[in-house]
Amino acid sequence: MDTQFITSMAIILATFALYIFIAVYNKAKATSDFYVAGRGVPPIYNGMAIGADWMSAASFIGMAGTIMMLGYDGLAYIMGWTGGYLLLTFLLAPQLRKSGSYTVPEFIGDRFKSNTALIIAAICTMIISFTYSIGQLSGSGVVIGRLFEIDAKLGTMIGVVLIAIYAAFGGMKGITWTQVAQYIVLIVAYLVPVIFMSLQITGNPLPWLSYGEIVGKLGELDRELGLSEYFAPFEKGTKWQFLALMFTLMAGTAGLPHVIARFYTVSTMKAARWSGAWALLFIALLYFSAPAYAAFSRFILMTQVAGSKIADLPAWTKTWVDTGLLKVADTSGDGILQWNELIIANDIVVMATPEIANLGIFVIGLVSAGAMAAALSTAGGLLIAISSAFAHDIYYRILKPDATDKQRLKVGRITIVVATLFAGIVALDPPGAITQIVAWAFAIATGTFFPALVLGVWWKRANAQGLIAGLLVGLAVTLSYIFAAKYGGFTILGIIDTGAGVFGAIAAFAANIIVSLATKPPSQEIQDAVINLRYPEQMTYKDGEVYMNE
Amino acid sequence: MVKKIDKSKADAYFREKNTYMIIYFIIWAIVSYGVVLFAEPLSDIYFNGFPFHYFMGAQGALAVFIILLFVNAVVGDKIDKKYGIDEKRNEEIGRTTTVDH
Repeated sequence: MDTQFITSMAIILATFALYIFIAVYNKAKATSDFYVAGRGVPPIYNGMAIGADWMSAASFIGMAGTIMMLGYDGLAYIMGWTGGYLLLTFLLAPQLRKSGSYTVPEFIGDRFKSNTALIIAAICTMIISFTYSIGQLSGSGVVIGRLFEIDAKLGTMIGVVLIAIYAAFGGMKGITWTQVAQYIVLIVAYLVPVIFMSLQITGNPLPWLSYGEIVGKLGELDRELGLSEYFAPFEKGTKWQFLALMFTLMAGTAGLPHVIARFYTVSTMKAARWSGAWALLFIALLYFSAPAYAAFSRFILMTQVAGSKIADLPAWTKTWVDTGLLKVADTSGDGILQWNELIIANDIVVMATPEIANLGIFVIGLVSAGAMAAALSTAGGLLIAISSAFAHDIYYRILKPDATDKQRLKVGRITIVVATLFAGIVALDPPGAITQIVAWAFAIATGTFFPALVLGVWWKRANAQGLIAGLLVGLAVTLSYIFAAKYGGFTILGIIDTGAGVFGAIAAFAANIIVSLATKPPSQEIQDAVINLRYPEQMTYKDGEVYMNE
Repeated sequence: MVKKIDKSKADAYFREKNTYMIIYFIIWAIVSYGVVLFAEPLSDIYFNGFPFHYFMGAQGALAVFIILLFVNAVVGDKIDKKYGIDEKRNEEIGRTTTVDH
């Protein structure tokens, strides 16, 4: 056991002890506490909890590496994963809060007065959240595997046990306050190395202001090597792929059930719009820093690592080469490591850079703890979404309406354990890189819930037949495009699997509108309820009149 | 106490909110989709060491998104106040109007 292992382990255990303490302290007692934290979380803390829920292994571990590899084209992730908060906060969150539902499928079931719609929506929630959680568990496997220097598969299994225990016992309330703590841990863990690297390279402690010149220098280095410049647009994909990916990530943000569920935990529509604003501010701290992280990492690799003798490479190279995620091959046979002989996997950039830049054992340990917080907090929110889709929407609403609180809690907990185990099994041999798996979850949300919720809230003429057609067509088109693009090499305008949501959304909007118009309009009562969502809590719309509750 | 109010007043509230929302979405689309569409010509302009298209993708668009969300929150509160909406009362009603479980 070396000092690095002991330090990393101590930091991870200390943060875990904090999360578990908070979860146990808040152990949920009643059903409303379990799912929506009793609806009284203040916007600023709710914003942090949304931030922790949001910033997953893909954001923390994968994003900076993706930007480093893709250059400008990787910024679609930065704009997509932040710009979606405007769609969510303006178009959906306050209205869904006013509807008073507990979950997204429940809103759909009530709005369209259809149990079929409720069941399809619950199944879509489970598909989206399940896909997403596979990425998180495989992320936690990478971190735990590196820490113990064991196989990532074993690391994933340890992650599965941890997450199942605290999600099942804490419920949403435990998770809300746990997530506030996790947000703080992960943001500190992300900012510290970027600030240190900025000081080391530019002498300026503010990376956001200093990395512009580094981006320019990277372009010069690339020119000398005869490569395309780091910041040159559309080198790794078409402009249409950039736009499609950005749209998919934005609309997916507005359609992710576990993120929307956060907006049910606020007290009013006003609190919903403030929660959205705070959430993006907290999230953006990481998103502003990711391109800086990418630029500094690439600069260090190009100037300090490339060009050194193969025989005197530092110790960090060996540890990472052993994981199979870093390759150094002296193909030119000159005994010197050239930039193009260094192959580094996207997913290790954030984890490996503190070692490469020699930031010290404490910072390296802190980054491991932050990465664990990111993976586990998001997995927690996802499992609650899966659990409520099954225990609340399917079990309680459809199968056993007379179930007691105790029975529903029990079914909810069993669902969490079963879903975690299944996601863990798939994560043992993940079907793609972390960011790719997560992008599929966004594409499915864009093709299903985004059109369904936008039309459900803003178009009173949308009916159950239209909704069901839209959900099924959107799901089918999105999944077919993902598979055709990934395995069949089929693309339109160069749009690959990660941008599939744009086609799903177009097909779902069209199907929903055409089928709704071809069938009977919804009842007057439903149409009134939709108009009612336009106004704040105090105003109620009924039979063509508006009543003010003073 | 529940009192009937003029429907046109409620409609004006809804229209005013939507007008602002449309303005926010136009700005949102220009700073993200607009800049991406014109990325090549914009890359010749430099800002704080960055080519402009890169600056917008990495920092500029995000900053605008955050500002728009806070402007929406503040303007939303002002509109509520203008129409006599009382947040304390909203909270009380919010607690009771949830779907019964």
